[in-house]
Amino acid sequence: MLLLRTLRPLVIILTVLAVLAYLGYLVVYVIYAVDLFRWPFDYDQGEGFELYDAILYSQGEWPYRDNATYPFYASNYPPLFHLFIVPLLPIFGPHPIAGRLVSFTATLVTGGVISVVVRRKVGGWFIPLISGLAFLASNYVYQIGPLCRLHMTMVMFETLAIAFIAEFEHPQHGRRNLILGLLMLLCAGYTKQMAVFTVAAALSYVFLRDVKKAVIAGVSLAAVTGIIFWLLNVATDGQWWVNIIQANVNEFDYRQTVFLFRQWFHLHTIFILLAAGYLVYELFWDRLSAYSLWFFFALGLGALSGKWGAGFGYFTTAVAAACLTSGLALGHLQHATRNTHHASHITHHALRILIPLLYLLQAPRMLHLPTSGPVFGPLTRALGVADALVVGDCATFQYHDAMGYTQLGHLLTPDDYAAGEEILNYIRTADGPPFSEEAMFSLLTGKPVVTNPTQLLNLYNNGLLDTTEIVERINRQEFGVVIFRAQFYPPPVLEAIGQNYRPVEHLCMNGFYYHILWPRRMFAGEE
Amino acid sequence: MVTKRQLGVVVIALGLLAVFGIIVVDFIGAGRWGGFGPLQRIGVGLGAAAIGVGFILVLLGDRPA
Repeated sequence: MLLLRTLRPLVIILTVLAVLAYLGYLVVYVIYAVDLFRWPFDYDQGEGFELYDAILYSQGEWPYRDNATYPFYASNYPPLFHLFIVPLLPIFGPHPIAGRLVSFTATLVTGGVISVVVRRKVGGWFIPLISGLAFLASNYVYQIGPLCRLHMTMVMFETLAIAFIAEFEHPQHGRRNLILGLLMLLCAGYTKQMAVFTVAAALSYVFLRDVKKAVIAGVSLAAVTGIIFWLLNVATDGQWWVNIIQANVNEFDYRQTVFLFRQWFHLHTIFILLAAGYLVYELFWDRLSAYSLWFFFALGLGALSGKWGAGFGYFTTAVAAACLTSGLALGHLQHATRNTHHASHITHHALRILIPLLYLLQAPRMLHLPTSGPVFGPLTRALGVADALVVGDCATFQYHDAMGYTQLGHLLTPDDYAAGEEILNYIRTADGPPFSEEAMFSLLTGKPVVTNPTQLLNLYNNGLLDTTEIVERINRQEFGVVIFRAQFYPPPVLEAIGQNYRPVEHLCMNGFYYHILWPRRMFAGEE
Repeated sequence: MVTKRQLGVVVIALGLLAVFGIIVVDFIGAGRWGGFGPLQRIGVGLGAAAIGVGFILVLLGDRPA
């Protein structure tokens, strides 16, 4: 009793500090999201294209098209995320906030589902609350969450799928849970192809418990998925297959995978160790749960992160699984020591200190926050990271991130807005359609969206793109202005632009140089 | 219901298949590196670990997996 009374204040202090730390991350996340909601341009290359896919759907058109003919545009993603954006277009217009709101909401739902699952399994409020907040505190989720990108919506469906499938043996609602879980898996897959690893995890779990149900569930899911796939392919004259499957076969660099695995581990160490420990415990001493299996299979998705065009986003499923499973692990430890045995009694009280302490030790490993302003300025100075800033191509961001260099996460400045307006002016005054590496400039000026550069490059690298028409149009200097950022175009396209267009200005926006090129015909007198 | 032993057999089979496949890759001339490449080393390591885990599972008998 004396020990309990002595420890009580310490437990309370540690618990409050841990909650404050993770709520602090939530505040940083909301500030970043709100800042992005106001930003009308691409923050991450690809946002505008995803918005454009939604616009095409709202006009009754498919985004799966022949890339060899004008406007040389096609999507390489399944449709579900873009269909979620469609109802928001009348409210927000062609503005990325429509997609950013969908993705941001998806991350909140995912965090909420993690909390609810942990709460149901282990009880109490502290571990469930931190498990959910931890997901939103991850550097990866923070950076990608409020973007007009589909990845986090896939993670939401994956999390919901696992939550339902884990309860497929429920005495009253087992059948309903299994059907809802399969539906969520279908939604995850038709949001992004990468959900296949969660499908494998979910079906493996059912297989371990009930082979017959697993076979029926697997065959049913495959049949429905296959029929939708076939219908989409027929409706798009085979362009669905080319753009969704063939265009996504890219070069693989294992060094990138190894680097990202190390980074992921470094940032989320305690969650990963707890989840891995729980997986080993269940594998050898208990029965494998859907959550542990999900964590294991999510590592497979992480292994694909070495693909060209992939990145740390491939680990967000593993982050969700680690946050959830680590909560279960700590809850299990708590329950295992909650008995009358004296030694267990001491361990139980030690855990009341250890659990918030572990969460507190983990919190600074994911540190990311703006470094300027009346609150964040003094805070970052107190934390000793005020000078450890992220440096972009042409600007130093007032932002610190424990993962080191990153293109995402910082807040926008008035200079960024001004540069964006200047680029828009170039497009408005051009005497032909813009050839822009980002779609938002075209969408905001009501001009046609021409090219999806990485899609063209992927197809070209796989020998699936005929560049004849695009090169001919460039040679005829039909495009009034070219806007480059990363120059992710096939070599013949870059070569033709080099011969027919001339740089006129390099504008720094959002930490990147945007290169503005005009047709050489406009310099006819000078050359 | 699948037992630990059955799961162990499957894991051993997958591990052996992985190791065998990785070694065979060299004989059919796939891959960018000459000789035994870094990805192959990682793959064989993981395959060997899977075989080890599989053997332990087999020893755990008929408990549910």
